[in-house]
Amino acid sequence: MRFNTHYRPAHSLTVVELGPNETVRAEASAMISMTRNIRVATTGPLNRSTGGFFGGLKRAFLGGETFFTNTFTAENGPGHVTLAPALTGDMLVHELAQNHQLFIQGGSYVAAPDSVQLDTKWQGMKGFFSGESLFFLNATGYGPVLMNAFGAVQTIDLDGELIVDTGHLVAFTSGLQYTVSKASAGWIKSFLSGEGFVLKFTGRGRLYVQTRNPAEYGRSVGRALPPREA
Amino acid sequence: MRFDIIDAPNFALLRIGFDAAGEKIVAESGAMVAMGSEIDVQTSMRGGLLAAAKRKVLGGESIFQNTFTAKQAGQQLFLAPPAEGDMRQKVLAPNEPFFLQSGAYVAHIGDGLVIDTKWGGVKGFFSGVGLFLLKITGPGTIFYASYGALHEVNVGAEGYTADTGHIVGFSHGLEYNVRSFGGMKGLFFSGEGLVADFRGQGTLYLQTRNPSSLASFLHPFRPVKARNS
Repeated sequence: MRFNTHYRPAHSLTVVELGPNETVRAEASAMISMTRNIRVATTGPLNRSTGGFFGGLKRAFLGGETFFTNTFTAENGPGHVTLAPALTGDMLVHELAQNHQLFIQGGSYVAAPDSVQLDTKWQGMKGFFSGESLFFLNATGYGPVLMNAFGAVQTIDLDGELIVDTGHLVAFTSGLQYTVSKASAGWIKSFLSGEGFVLKFTGRGRLYVQTRNPAEYGRSVGRALPPREA
Repeated sequence: MRFDIIDAPNFALLRIGFDAAGEKIVAESGAMVAMGSEIDVQTSMRGGLLAAAKRKVLGGESIFQNTFTAKQAGQQLFLAPPAEGDMRQKVLAPNEPFFLQSGAYVAHIGDGLVIDTKWGGVKGFFSGVGLFLLKITGPGTIFYASYGALHEVNVGAEGYTADTGHIVGFSHGLEYNVRSFGGMKGLFFSGEGLVADFRGQGTLYLQTRNPSSLASFLHPFRPVKARNS
């Protein structure tokens, strides 16, 4: 399987080249086009452990993220699927090695082969109170993991400490631990700072950060739109 | 008349230079960015009132088009599509058809060029808003735009499948059928969930972003209407 990304960075599109009988599992709304020999199957919400179907639905609506994935399998020879995110921005591939893990912000996952297993790591109340839908997909196994970014991507190899805004985080590797904390001293100041909650990372590993924040963008444009029904 | 497409691929702009008085180009209303002062602008309803009304209902495309005619040589005109993205031109030979998703149309040159808004109307209607097609027949030159990058696919005997919201247009020689795409995609996200299966031999043009996906993303951020109770 090969991921070839074109039209970077603003309007990226990834062509997933599949060998005969190879399968890629992609976030449900990412498919743009495909060859005719691709068999598609929907694999419901990923996260049985965190509320099942309706839990997945609820968060899909609340957070704007998809909990559903489709599997695309090339039959009777090679084929391809093209994938792209909804918003403007880049796509990136992280090569996951055996015995390593990658934690992916829910909205950033696009696709991976069968050899990568995905599980959700729901951040529970921490995430709930931050106002950002903070949940991570935990990728284990091995192979390329395709992700999208809103805006450009900054790759940061960290050895030490770094504070990252939750809305700007794309993914991070195992080896890094984090705590959720307020951006500013005190609850009210933290709220007023506009930074909401931040993640304080410690350890050694890689971080992928996106240069725009989808929720900030949504809020800045959304408030100019006509009201919707409740 | 000379023209070139500048500021591509992210913010493509069509630059037209008129070489002689009387030269003209027809453009989608709202496309004009800037123009020389010696250009005459005539607004009309494309295809007459009924066709225009139908197009408005079915395709969501603007009813009006503008014809820009140079009153003297050396005049310049700049045209742009509404969304960020790329733009291309297609020169059509006499009787050569080309199919364009209605929102992708930017402008055209050539008195002999026919834009058939009736074609594909019923099919477009039943296939959802994402695929209301214009059938354009040469001779002439057509300018069309994408939201995002323009991705070209050469479709061969084995066929090809594309999300309807990402189709910009396709060349003569291709036929398609629309069907719903399995899974949760349409149900919860783009609101379409339709794909077109193409067969035949020709070129398919796709856009790498989709206006309805952006709208779906923004929808939850709209303010909520206050209740009147």
